[in-house]
Amino acid sequence: MKYFLKSLLKTIPVLFLITLIVFLLVRVTGDPVSLMLPETATAEERDSLRESLGFNEPLPVQYFTYLGNLVQGDFGDSFRYNTDALSLILERLPATLELAIASMVIAVIISVPLGILSAVKRNSFFDLFITGGAVLGKAMPNFWLGIMLILLLSVTFQVFPVSGRGTLWHLVLPALTLGTGIAAEMTRLIRSSMLEILGQDFIRTARSKGLGEAIIVNKHAFRNALIPVVTIMALQTSTLIGGTLITETVFAWPGLGQLLVQSVNLRDMAVVQAATFIIAIFVILSNLSADLIYRFLDPRIKYD
Amino acid sequence: MTKNLLEIEDLKVRFKTEDGYISTVNGVSFSVKQGETLAIVGESGSGKSVTSLALMGILPANGEIYDGKVTFEDKNLRTLSKKEYRKIRGNEISMIFQEPMTALNPVFNIGYQLRETLILHYDMTKEQANKKGIEMLETVGIPDADKVMGRFPHQLSGGMRQRVMIAMALSCNPKLLIADEPTTALDVTIQAQILTLMRNIKEKSNTSTIIITHDLGVVAELADRVIVMYAGEVVEEAPIYELFENPLHPYTKGLMASIPKVHDVVDELYSIEGTVPNPSNMPSGCKFYPRCPLGNIECTKIHPPLEYISADHAKRCIKV
Repeated sequence: MKYFLKSLLKTIPVLFLITLIVFLLVRVTGDPVSLMLPETATAEERDSLRESLGFNEPLPVQYFTYLGNLVQGDFGDSFRYNTDALSLILERLPATLELAIASMVIAVIISVPLGILSAVKRNSFFDLFITGGAVLGKAMPNFWLGIMLILLLSVTFQVFPVSGRGTLWHLVLPALTLGTGIAAEMTRLIRSSMLEILGQDFIRTARSKGLGEAIIVNKHAFRNALIPVVTIMALQTSTLIGGTLITETVFAWPGLGQLLVQSVNLRDMAVVQAATFIIAIFVILSNLSADLIYRFLDPRIKYD
Repeated sequence: MTKNLLEIEDLKVRFKTEDGYISTVNGVSFSVKQGETLAIVGESGSGKSVTSLALMGILPANGEIYDGKVTFEDKNLRTLSKKEYRKIRGNEISMIFQEPMTALNPVFNIGYQLRETLILHYDMTKEQANKKGIEMLETVGIPDADKVMGRFPHQLSGGMRQRVMIAMALSCNPKLLIADEPTTALDVTIQAQILTLMRNIKEKSNTSTIIITHDLGVVAELADRVIVMYAGEVVEEAPIYELFENPLHPYTKGLMASIPKVHDVVDELYSIEGTVPNPSNMPSGCKFYPRCPLGNIECTKIHPPLEYISADHAKRCIKV
């Protein structure tokens, strides 16, 4: 618990650094005012808008104003939607989390049994088929896989809806699209991790005790093999939350990725800053939870 | 005469490699009597560990017994189903390994690993197994046994871990205990403690033991009878005193001469020249010939059989 609190405290400077970098980046990419006013607007009109938005202040002043508002929970207002940025993001967040969790669940359901079996039956036809399939799964671009799934399962067989969010059926195809690539990577990782563990002395000890193969593989080996897998799961979860723009676009999924990219294009500063901040928090949280899971899985790891 | 608990006849083990099969145990025969301690001595690569893994039925996936007979208590182990074999393993025959550092699973605590065998073979409840586990730890001389049950392997020293391994191997009262280099990976003082422990166990129980070692000191300490292995074959077999008094095979003599002695100060320790031949490229005739001080042309022509020169002393050499 002490370790957990300490790690949480350590993330505060990281978050500050992120706000600074994003703040500077959105300001060097161009002038939002030129996009907000029609091309016919005069220089005076532009200047007065700039003045009213506070862009004429020196950068440090702007940054500290932004920070000051941030710690009070005010992320600023979207130029485009004229509402506060945070509520825009919170509106999109459930869709993103829903998709991320579903993709991860699909990836785990596919990769754990396949990775284990592939390692146990190494160099067999099955193993070859699975490792080959994993390369394919990793190599397929998401937009292509998504479109293929839509063509096959939505257009031809009409099992799942083409796009949008709503029922559980809407979730299946986008989650499958995202889950496939992650499953491919995790299958390979579980396979190689299991292969390494199955060659260890303590597996021979487990055999010498007369334990059945199922217990040896699923308990003695898998508990050990899980440790590196958790790292990849944490990394993938943060990628999923950070934005799965292509898949969201293919399936018209109203997630955070879509909002973020639109806002970058429109130089909607407040939204970009707020979205990055929220994503950063999720990345930090998923890494922290990986740390906690390690501690549960591997008693050799001690934090203090 | 006591009955033979284990009888191995003409055991042959081979491994599948990219260049075809390689045979590492080539027709080994020996027996172990009830309550007896048999030592198998030899260099690395002599096939002594493979022999023990073969009779436990836990050879690596690419290894197999391709000939011979393994009889344990009138049961032919080679014809047992996997399930029947598992009932014997860890229960009637159990094993202690060389590396206590890596032989225990790092993510389970000692208690779990001890209870597992008891629950599996004796159908105990968790509480019963826990009680028995603590008892076993006390038997092997671990202080604060109930606390150690909750510890993980990395929290224990090498000697402690080896004691835990011994406790685990003995927990189901095995009829045969195989100890593969049980002291090799330990500090000298700890080695002595483990040897004392093993001797006490030997005196208290009627468990037969096979000790696999390259350390003749360990042999002298524990064994009743010794077989010397070289290149996958038995080259000499004798009772312990007979072997130390009257070693016959040049390889055994070489091993004896390699033991440093306090009284004779010499500039250089004796060593047998060369190394164990590669199983894929065995010399024809006597396999020890290339390293043998007595070898001549005759030795390259015939592969010497194992000859008994008395009821219990055998050697595989035509020169002595």
